[in-house]
Amino acid sequence: MRNSLKVLIVSVLLSGCTSAEELEYEQYLVNGEILYKQRCANCHGEKGEGLRNLYPALAGNAVLGNTSQVICLIKNGIRADQAQSKQAMPPNPELFDLDIAQLVTFLKDKYAGKPQKVTANEVKEILLDCAP
Amino acid sequence: MKQLNKLLILSFSYFTLWSCNVQEAELPVLGPVKVGENGENIPHQIPDFSFVNQYGDTISQVDFENSIYVADFFFTSCPTICPVMKSQMIRVYEHFQDQPEVKILSHSIDPYHDSVSVLRDYAEALGVNDRKWQFVTGDQDAIYEIGEKSYMVTAAEDTVAAEETGGFIHSGAFILVDKKKQVRGLYDGTVEKDVNQLIRDIELLLKEDEE
Repeated sequence: MRNSLKVLIVSVLLSGCTSAEELEYEQYLVNGEILYKQRCANCHGEKGEGLRNLYPALAGNAVLGNTSQVICLIKNGIRADQAQSKQAMPPNPELFDLDIAQLVTFLKDKYAGKPQKVTANEVKEILLDCAP
Repeated sequence: MKQLNKLLILSFSYFTLWSCNVQEAELPVLGPVKVGENGENIPHQIPDFSFVNQYGDTISQVDFENSIYVADFFFTSCPTICPVMKSQMIRVYEHFQDQPEVKILSHSIDPYHDSVSVLRDYAEALGVNDRKWQFVTGDQDAIYEIGEKSYMVTAAEDTVAAEETGGFIHSGAFILVDKKKQVRGLYDGTVEKDVNQLIRDIELLLKEDEE
């Protein structure tokens, strides 16, 4: 409810003076944040701070610069023996391409300081190359 | 009249202070009390146990003699409440870093997966390199039994919603055990405020021992 209100307020504020594209970007951020809280924050922390070497911090994490790697990680997870932290990350097979696009857009904006909209089509293409 | 007011205020503040004192003076002993052969009351105690820690050593109640410890139940691949529990347990660990009589005992409820090496990696990633905080694996039934019967918490395999819970259900409780192996408090290990209370209660138990 609060989030829909946020969307509404953002929409109203922006509709007057911003393009549809910018508005869509804002929507991606809002939805991405919701997904982050539901699926990621438990381990990676409410503020992306992580937990020691057990769960990597996302804030300032260089991996966020590698869009393909992040998308594949979110969708397929990683095995403990392949992870730097030696901890497995569970896969998220039920996430749609658009969900992942919004989540990655949010992560890049919030934790890498790089506003860059990732589209569902890009996600689809990238996932073709990293089937589990 | 003034005198009476004074007296009232005085007795009221005395009463308030007194009730605070009572509340602070002693933690309850939790769990069912059994009646012994001679009709005497036997308070609930954690029975003897034997598990293997993250260094591959077998540990038992002997390693917790003269110690106050906090027990919990978790598994390393837990996607739900464990990360929050562990971030809270770190606070307890660090708060009592210089007090060797305070220890932590984390039981894996997924002992088949959580082998000694998995537990050692997990502990190291959390920054635990000592025996103050031990992570143990062992016989699954023994772990579930001591969890439910002795520490009074839920620990079981999840056959209903395994995908969401990671295959196991367990309570997020932190259980405070004193030097007499008695349970003195149960706290929600996912709630910061509860863990603050746990830290205060451990300090209280430490004082109790001094007296």
